[in-house]
Amino acid sequence: MLKRNAFVFVMLVLVIMAMLAAGKYLDRTRKHGPIKLVGDVHNVPAPDFELPTLDGRKVKLSDFRGQAVLLNFWATWCPPCKIEMPWFVDMQKQYGKDGLVVLGVAMDDTESAKIAEFAHEMGVNYLVLLGTDQVSDDYGDVRSLPTTFYIDRNGTIVAKAVGLLGRQEIEDDVKKALSAAYKPAAQLKRAEAKVKSAWAKEATQ
Amino acid sequence: MKQVLFGLIVFLLVGLALAQSPGEKQPSVIMAPVGNVQLRAGGSLNLDLDFRIGPDFHINSSKPRADYLIPTVLKLSSPEPVAVADVKYPAGEDMSFAFSPNEKLSVYSGDFSITTVLKAPANAAAGSYPVKGELRFQACDRSACYPPRSIPVQFQVTVVKK
Repeated sequence: MLKRNAFVFVMLVLVIMAMLAAGKYLDRTRKHGPIKLVGDVHNVPAPDFELPTLDGRKVKLSDFRGQAVLLNFWATWCPPCKIEMPWFVDMQKQYGKDGLVVLGVAMDDTESAKIAEFAHEMGVNYLVLLGTDQVSDDYGDVRSLPTTFYIDRNGTIVAKAVGLLGRQEIEDDVKKALSAAYKPAAQLKRAEAKVKSAWAKEATQ
Repeated sequence: MKQVLFGLIVFLLVGLALAQSPGEKQPSVIMAPVGNVQLRAGGSLNLDLDFRIGPDFHINSSKPRADYLIPTVLKLSSPEPVAVADVKYPAGEDMSFAFSPNEKLSVYSGDFSITTVLKAPANAAAGSYPVKGELRFQACDRSACYPPRSIPVQFQVTVVKK
């Protein structure tokens, strides 16, 4: 009996050590320019993506470098998302001239015509993109909707909100995203980190 | 030794709970096990299937109040001679939430039951037949919603002669 308990104890210790090692690895991955977001995403480069718009064009997040981006994951079946939409419409109107771009990523599993109709009914004046599992995965497996990322002009995430927040909190995060000055050098650094990360990945394969 | 083990388990569970960020816990709907279902050949039977929604979550009822909402749907298929003649959903509870105080939503929360009406013809062969299907639902909590999901529904019906 004593032997079995000792075995269980050792196994538990090993599990804890494995969990700690995994956490450390994930943290290190995050610091060296991740491809996928894990854990705390503040001050982390936003993963780039290319997604179709409702009218079939392709849009990349990096197309908006130099502008602050409010990246909102939503769905037509999500009542809290519906509440936020008029606020985003207002933010786009009010802060568009300062360089804010609102992007709505629809995570519906339905045809784009229905999403377009819904967006039209809601008076959406910003770009709606058709989300994919890949982009959800890249942004840390977005399952709760709405989830919103606030990305500054240099492509760095400055805030993340899961679930419905108040309008004032959204506006505060918009201001935070707009406040950073555009530094093309930061872009170079990020590209460098990405290349290094790709090399490291290749080396481990 | 037992105390050490218990302490370690508690430590692990607390760690896992803390690792889950608020607003990112996932909704759960589970079905209570169905006991022995006996259906007489030539007869019919109302069978209640009991479901439990995880605390703090709600799901749309079978008749949500807006077209854009995803209703709860139970789909069942049964082998002959057992037939699922009807599925009766409970009425939803009209609730308003902090995210939409002026809008009432028709939802289920906590425990709810869906009644299925099972039938077998008079000439049905005695035996045990599996009824299989799924419950599709879309859940929300007080500030966020989660993609539609399905859980398997399965029970065994024993047809007995008159």
